[in-house]
Amino acid sequence: MKKVITGDHAVAIGAKLSRVEVVPAFPITPQTLIIEHIADFVNDGEMDAKFLTMESEHSVMSAAAAAEAAGARVFTATSSQGLAFMHEMLYATAPLRLPVVMVNANRTLGGPPGIWCEYNDSMGVRDSGWLQVYVEDNQEALDMVIQAYRIAEDKRILLPIMPCLDGFVLTHTVEPVEIPEQQDVDSFLPPYEPDVILDPARPAMIGTFMPAEYIMELRRQTAGAVESAKEVIQEINDDFAKRFGRDYGGLIDAYQMEDAEAALVTMGTVTSTSRQVVDEMRQEGEKVGLIKLRFFRPFPSEELKNALKDTTAVGVLDRSLSFIGGGQAFNEVRSALYGLSIPIINHLAGLGGRDVTEMQIRKMFELTLRAANGEKVKSVNWHNTRGETV
Amino acid sequence: MFELRFHGRGGQGAVMAAQTIAEAAVIEGNYAVAFPFFGAERRGAPVLAFARIDSKKIYSKTQVYAPDCEVVLDDSLLDTIDVVSGLKPDGIVVINSKDKPEDIDLGKEIRTGAVDATSVALEILKAPITNTAILGALAKATGIIKIESIEEAIKRRFGEKLGAKVGERNALAARTAYDRTVVGKSKGIKKLETKKQWLPSYQELPVGGVLVEGRTEAGLIGPGSFVENKVFGWATFRPVRDKEKCTMCLLCWFYCPEGTIVRISDRGDLMTNYDYCKGCGICANECPVDAIKMVRGKT
Repeated sequence: MKKVITGDHAVAIGAKLSRVEVVPAFPITPQTLIIEHIADFVNDGEMDAKFLTMESEHSVMSAAAAAEAAGARVFTATSSQGLAFMHEMLYATAPLRLPVVMVNANRTLGGPPGIWCEYNDSMGVRDSGWLQVYVEDNQEALDMVIQAYRIAEDKRILLPIMPCLDGFVLTHTVEPVEIPEQQDVDSFLPPYEPDVILDPARPAMIGTFMPAEYIMELRRQTAGAVESAKEVIQEINDDFAKRFGRDYGGLIDAYQMEDAEAALVTMGTVTSTSRQVVDEMRQEGEKVGLIKLRFFRPFPSEELKNALKDTTAVGVLDRSLSFIGGGQAFNEVRSALYGLSIPIINHLAGLGGRDVTEMQIRKMFELTLRAANGEKVKSVNWHNTRGETV
Repeated sequence: MFELRFHGRGGQGAVMAAQTIAEAAVIEGNYAVAFPFFGAERRGAPVLAFARIDSKKIYSKTQVYAPDCEVVLDDSLLDTIDVVSGLKPDGIVVINSKDKPEDIDLGKEIRTGAVDATSVALEILKAPITNTAILGALAKATGIIKIESIEEAIKRRFGEKLGAKVGERNALAARTAYDRTVVGKSKGIKKLETKKQWLPSYQELPVGGVLVEGRTEAGLIGPGSFVENKVFGWATFRPVRDKEKCTMCLLCWFYCPEGTIVRISDRGDLMTNYDYCKGCGICANECPVDAIKMVRGKT
């Protein structure tokens, strides 16, 4: 069945179809619609879940971790300042291997406050051990909530995961979304059955004090789980594609890359707009291609290297800034491509929610093509920024 | 460079002792560092502290593994910890003990300075805090630092924190211990076994470090494993309850931080499980009718 719904609505339906059992929640724009829809589902008896209104996001993640430790399938959503407020608890859920699924509606984190899309909220927690996937449209938002539970709860992984969707560009935009049948989701996603839970009949210690004699090994263990997630994500992507007919490519998605000379690496909704620009420029005879960086954790270093090794120049579009010159995606992609002698340049755009237009993306491709032709191009390019020239 | 390792129990002041020796060394024109190492902060639990003294700036930021001097603030630690582990062959042990060096079995014959620092502390400070007394013994046994510098350092550090009078009294404790310290050679009879520790590889560590009740070669792990962690050796005093005075108000039962006071419901009585009593004295302090007295001796 097709429905014309917002990204937030799609996410809420994804959580309902995943038979979530506990939803601790705190509102924040632009994710509030998600928990409002879920509150409606629970109230109307469409969803058999415990809906907990918490007093802060820190409490939301505390409750989420505790409910998960008690064996429940947990969902929550947050954004920006809310994500920052639960920072501490994010660093507890991942090493303790509690597979919480939380959607982050990307929103600028500041002062000065703003409400529109920027990735500086979720990028700030990229080292927490949470897996992160960035989606391109409302359909992918819904589908990735369902996949997220399969990925997170897989016994080879057991890590929390954060599907990220662009604030307003997806959260508040309606478009047609195919709603999967409950029975199909049920056969794709088995119930959550953890080995050890908090149960008085079989006592367990979860998250107790741990001295230096153990934490190094615990870190190594978490690192191993993040690494092995790569294979499992691909496997689950392929199974989903087989059952539902929608293949997102896994860790990355390549578009028009076969003979591409200049490639642009993008995340989230700018990927959609970029596809359009690639089509136009291809018609003009330019050999341009696109890599959608879907998963930021685990980071697909090998996959990127394989996909980009035959190009002559790579541009990376960042919607957030790391203060070492350029964005986080740029620095990590460049690190992944270490050893390849391809120029890699950064395109900063859309910070604070500034609209990223086709014109800007075309400019990014043009700059990348100039680098491909051996021209000297600035390493970091601020697009549509007063006082900067690109 | 002269390196020291301090073995003590939480509350005895091992950390302050290490800091004070560093200050004394600086008073004498040297460079010195001192730092602690402890797990969950818990009164009575074994604590480590370290100090290094040199004539020039010290760059090493690691723990001390081969000390020149080993300071033991509590000889009950000898039962569970190989205090002389890594001690240099010509090193020296300074120990708080009622016994003479030749009667102390360290598992190695080693130069040893002994003093009954607990008695010195109880006489002068009216509390079993032995850190300043042991520093007097350290000055006497090692000769690396003058007792006058120790006294000055104590007056500065303790005086600043707790007032000039307390500083003076602690300096007197150091001087008294200095006078009473006997230097000799320890016995080396007992076989020292280092306590086994469960050290899983990252593959062996249960996922997320989550533990259920279990047993390893090193003992129990997970919930309930603290049953093996008997603490009666930690105590300087033990609580003794006068049943006649006791009104069964249960304040002691409520306040005991270790849960060692057990209610025997069918008799309407209380019992102290001395295996897990670390002799902190909170029960005696809270008792509204003074029915509990703290008596010198292990629980």
